[in-house]
Amino acid sequence: MSPGRQDERGISRRLKGAVGGSLLGFVAWSLPVSGEEATVDFRQEILPLLSENCFHCHGPDGEERKADLRLDTFEGATRDLGEGAAALVPGKPSLSRLLSRIDSPESDEVMPPPDSGKSLTPGQRARLRKWISEGGRYETHWAYEPVERTEIPPVATADHPIDSFVVRRLEERGLELSDPVDRRTLLRRATFDLTGLPPSWKEVQDFVNDPAPDGEAFGAVLDRLLESPAYGERWGRHWLDLARYADTHGGSAIGFTRFPFSYTYRDYVIGAFNEDLPYDRFLLEQIAADQLDLPSRDPALAALGFLTVGRQFRNVHDRIDDQIDVITRGLLGLTVSCARCHDHKFDSIPTTDYYALHATLGSSRVPFELPLVGDPEVPESYRSERENRYRLRNDMVREQGEVMRGRLRMQVGLYLGELAKGTPEQDTSTFFLSYRTEDTRPKVLEAWRRYLAALDESDPVFGPWHRLSTIEAENFRAECAALVAQLEKENGDPKAFANEHLLKTRPPKWNPRVLDALKARQPNSFVEVAEVYGEVFAGVHRRWLGSLLEASIEAEPGGTVVPDQDAKHAVVNSAIERQLRHHLYDPGSPTALSFEKPENLTMLNRGVRDAVRGTLGAIHNLDLGGTAPPRSMILEEQSPPDESFVFLRGNPVARGEKVEPRFLTALSAEGGATFPDGRRRLGLAQAIVDPENPLTRRVIVNWIWQHHFGRGLVRTADDFGTRGEPPSHPELLDYLAEVLLEDGWSLKQLHRRIMTSATYQQGSLENRNAREIDPQNDLLWRMPPRRLEMEAMRDSLLAVSGELDLKKRGGRPFEEKDEAAVGRRSVYAFVNRDVISRMASTFDGADPSACTVKRPETVVPQQTLFALNSGFVQDRAVALFDLPEIQETESSSARIEAIYRRIFSRSASPEEVAVALEYVGEGSEDTNEARWSQFVHALLASNEFLFVD
Amino acid sequence: MNAFSSGDPFSRRRFLRRSGLGLGSLALAPLMQSTTRAGVHFPGKAKSVIHVFLNGGMSQVDTFDPKPELTRRDGQPLPYDNLLTERRTGVAMASPFEFQQHGESGIPVSDLFPHLSRCVDHLAVIRSMHAELPSHELSLMLMNSGDQRLVRPSLGSWLNWGMGSENRNLPGFVVLCPGGHPVGGTNNWRSAFLPGVFQGTLVDTAQSDPRELIAHIRNSRLAPEEQGRQFELLRRINARHLESRPGEEALEARIQSFELAYRMQIEATDAFDISQEPAAIREMYGKGQQNQQLLMARRLVERGVRFVQTWHGKGQPWDSHGNIKNAHRNVAQACDQGLAALITDLEQRGLLDETLIVCSGEFGRTPTVELGVAGGGATQGRDHNHWGFSLWMAGGGIKGGTIHGATDEFGFKAVENPVSVHDLHATILHLLGIDHRRLTYRYAGRDFRLTDVHGHVVDAVIA
Repeated sequence: MSPGRQDERGISRRLKGAVGGSLLGFVAWSLPVSGEEATVDFRQEILPLLSENCFHCHGPDGEERKADLRLDTFEGATRDLGEGAAALVPGKPSLSRLLSRIDSPESDEVMPPPDSGKSLTPGQRARLRKWISEGGRYETHWAYEPVERTEIPPVATADHPIDSFVVRRLEERGLELSDPVDRRTLLRRATFDLTGLPPSWKEVQDFVNDPAPDGEAFGAVLDRLLESPAYGERWGRHWLDLARYADTHGGSAIGFTRFPFSYTYRDYVIGAFNEDLPYDRFLLEQIAADQLDLPSRDPALAALGFLTVGRQFRNVHDRIDDQIDVITRGLLGLTVSCARCHDHKFDSIPTTDYYALHATLGSSRVPFELPLVGDPEVPESYRSERENRYRLRNDMVREQGEVMRGRLRMQVGLYLGELAKGTPEQDTSTFFLSYRTEDTRPKVLEAWRRYLAALDESDPVFGPWHRLSTIEAENFRAECAALVAQLEKENGDPKAFANEHLLKTRPPKWNPRVLDALKARQPNSFVEVAEVYGEVFAGVHRRWLGSLLEASIEAEPGGTVVPDQDAKHAVVNSAIERQLRHHLYDPGSPTALSFEKPENLTMLNRGVRDAVRGTLGAIHNLDLGGTAPPRSMILEEQSPPDESFVFLRGNPVARGEKVEPRFLTALSAEGGATFPDGRRRLGLAQAIVDPENPLTRRVIVNWIWQHHFGRGLVRTADDFGTRGEPPSHPELLDYLAEVLLEDGWSLKQLHRRIMTSATYQQGSLENRNAREIDPQNDLLWRMPPRRLEMEAMRDSLLAVSGELDLKKRGGRPFEEKDEAAVGRRSVYAFVNRDVISRMASTFDGADPSACTVKRPETVVPQQTLFALNSGFVQDRAVALFDLPEIQETESSSARIEAIYRRIFSRSASPEEVAVALEYVGEGSEDTNEARWSQFVHALLASNEFLFVD
Repeated sequence: MNAFSSGDPFSRRRFLRRSGLGLGSLALAPLMQSTTRAGVHFPGKAKSVIHVFLNGGMSQVDTFDPKPELTRRDGQPLPYDNLLTERRTGVAMASPFEFQQHGESGIPVSDLFPHLSRCVDHLAVIRSMHAELPSHELSLMLMNSGDQRLVRPSLGSWLNWGMGSENRNLPGFVVLCPGGHPVGGTNNWRSAFLPGVFQGTLVDTAQSDPRELIAHIRNSRLAPEEQGRQFELLRRINARHLESRPGEEALEARIQSFELAYRMQIEATDAFDISQEPAAIREMYGKGQQNQQLLMARRLVERGVRFVQTWHGKGQPWDSHGNIKNAHRNVAQACDQGLAALITDLEQRGLLDETLIVCSGEFGRTPTVELGVAGGGATQGRDHNHWGFSLWMAGGGIKGGTIHGATDEFGFKAVENPVSVHDLHATILHLLGIDHRRLTYRYAGRDFRLTDVHGHVVDAVIA
């Protein structure tokens, strides 16, 4: 069960956002929305209206707020605007400026301003007026309210809790559920819903002829379907939409780069659904499996693909943004990404919240070596070849890194010069430049900037630098000379440190090489001081390399042995040189960069960089090969993590206040806790699955509902904020969220609850009368008929033609080329983020560049062209016709019957047989095979095949 | 409420339903032949756009932005401190091409475009374009979708979503590119969060059989009359299915879609078949794929395709890092005649007024010579330059014979009336009757715009 912690403060959690003094409004859920007389429901009617029309300039975003007026809080709206006026005067519409400005005939007065293109309808104005006269009370936005166990309304005609909620709403409007469907239709609906495949003729017959009562018989069907591995393949695919799953990096200039191990995440997801992994555990693993103290090769680590299979932006902040988006929009129904550059305009999500999540996620990296999934077989040839390629890469990185570091040590003057000139901070998060040896690397420059800032002013080498940095330009030379003289004086008698070859010699307070060089050069400006330092360091590096060579040569066979403290070793032993060398060779030095980090590779010269990338590519290619064992695409938190700041306007070099890793304020208890270092993501995951979190459970039950009914109780399934649509059945939503907890976060149990309802089992026929009253079928007077999605369509075509291999599950993605069908389920197909497949763009496949909670549904001729003309569909027709059960029929009529059973799992009507016979030609079953497959083709293209009643 | 700020691409269907028509009766009407919404917010001059993409980046100082000062300082270092581009560049490199003034307007054009220079009085040249980074992928995405990092809907997708289609038998956004993908591939014509139907349809113009150009546009296994028979059967099967589900819109819609697809088989192949053009017209456009695909573009806009984008070729053909003298000569030669012919041809057909032509790269090139990547000497080529570049527009609402904006004395950076890519997009939308601030789509809780929070219409180029 859930390791999620309970929030002790529970009920006192901070209710931010559209919170007024009053929290009364919870009564309003069930009241009918429209009608002049009804009491105004703030949440349902007023808040969406204010959000849509006012919050852009008068909302949570403090920076953009106009006239210092905010309308998202009661305090803000009632604030004295001077001369006793206020936007909202409770109970007094005539005194409320809000109304007078909205009704103003003056174009420079009227709100919203004409150029916003927005205006309020007379109906909306009337409701606003009524709301004010009723007291103008504010209430928390519904989605931030705690989930409440609502009483199941007593409804005579319903004996299933879901139906009670639905039927009551229908009855209020004089509507009722449609008649239940017959067993065949129900089985077809349930089978597609749970497995994405059509039921077989036999399955239909078994169910139709089951003597058990309906409930019991269907219960057995549900058990069978939920136990089928095809369930995880179907619902796992839904989840992969949300997780913006793809098998390529995205954003490649030419071609694309594959992930070698993305499939391990896909298989994890499918497995999790099949095992009915509790949903809270499912989220914990996907966000923080590495922080759950699992064994190092635990298969659950593959869950972290949720964070790592996103688009591989070049800019690290974009990658983090992508993770924030998938977590908040996908799991919480909040559009937190909006707060990257400014406070959220409509919801209570300040930029500090965004950067608190940025700190949570940005402190983690994908490690160079990924763990194996469990204990797979590792072929010896793979293992040794991988070792070879690693060695080549390591050798090259080590050597070329040394070359680069050597050059950086010669170029200290270049970087100090930039700093002396006052070059502003560089954005080091995007890389695209091709470097040559002489080019300044922004990352090294920033390392120098930070390094110098952190140094103590008493540093023997850079102490003078610090002091000189404050000298005014006009009298630079003289003041510099005076400073040098003073520091020399502080150093005392040079004889004290003259014996540089002796290891016991103590260095003076201020480095004499630096002082000597300043004295010799007599710099006129700080920029010239930088040059002096550059020359000093270049000399140090040259002398060090030279004396290392000499010291090494002594040990050569036949070399002359020199005692360690001989004057010949003065440079090696010199304490004065050591003071300087510290800044070049200490691991913390800006010149001692490690190129183990892939992001530092870009600093190498272009040609070298490309060569090193080649060695990485060789490892990558090996991992793409068929013998490579599976690995988990994990993340690891850095220790210690970097400090995190708000980026003003989203700009990484415009640092705002410091932020700690923590959860969203609107969903946290007062002063919500900072996530602990080393377990930041775990802290986030626990806050998400905390039963007190009002969003997580509502969002997932809505998502499940959406995939059963074609749309959610909240239609904007990824936006539960103030601009999203309020739920059509708020009490039902909360009921489902509550029972999810009772069921131990079991999603399979949730399916059972939904699918056993009469609401789910009702018919799908159009009803003009009901349509008049409830045009959008919001109240569910019928089951919306649904069209098979891309994957279900393809899989069903292969299933009825007998070509789908359901036994082959998981593993590397397959690729289907030139319509030569691969008999595997579509969820295992290669998903290319760089080149969207023709199928995906034609059939509304999920766009893997971002979290997709609901796919668009289009009707375009490209789809029907596919049905009419593609080799894929025609090949299935031929394969189906070739099946023994079709071929071995004794008459044309029997053959037609067999085809109907195969495709639609039903019998053909006499009229259908007649139409078919007319088409294929009487008695022509042996001679006109082409006609027969054209007939099958037509059935596969038909609406009955593609739509589920 | 503004119909075009909703997320529903089928508001037309909703409208029809509300007006009591329904799709069944629609079937009797001439099928959605004209659902034009040109002038979404106000009357627009242009109805369609041909975007000629010189991918790789056209050098401004060698084409439309002559710089005598650059010639004078040839071989000398230029006084730039911090204009970083992708690679290191060195001293000034004079243009190897000759400039001459042309037409009544006297717009100077280099000898790279002898044919096009005869049409300069139709052109508005913007010499002060600028982008954000000297990287192909990022600048291509910026030019096509207004965002250089995130996958966002492209201009063609926005236009089709906002304006609808003039010809339901053809895709409204067609991308012509011979021989493969440009850099960035499909990212350049993604629909992103707009429905997939608004994504650009890529047509490989190196493919000579027009029937191969659109996926599944014909049935290679069935003779037309056999297919006709089969189609009749399918109609009966679907009609029977619908009978027991009366009034079911989703089913009706797909039935209509079959009818459209069936007719598209003929019309779509015709549209792409330039062999149906008279020989004189084909010759006017000149030889080669780059010239001939411009003729295909004309056939498409003539048939109501909203947005046609032609790419010079796969990869980045205009990316002349080395020996620009030969490299630019070759690519310019491949499209010069076709560009002139396109303008002339559209004008002769009376279509130039309603067709906006935009000819641009994703950025320009440096006036300084590029130094080799490997640390060697100069390459006689030019590096990417996002600081300043030129493009031209013609037709639909453009004030011909105009020069707008200027780069500095050497042609490196836009300094006078700088025009951002967002400004360009705002201007294009304006010419089509769209206020770029009001063309919005609600996605992930936000109203997205092609121009995000930027963009000013460049009035100076508008007639």
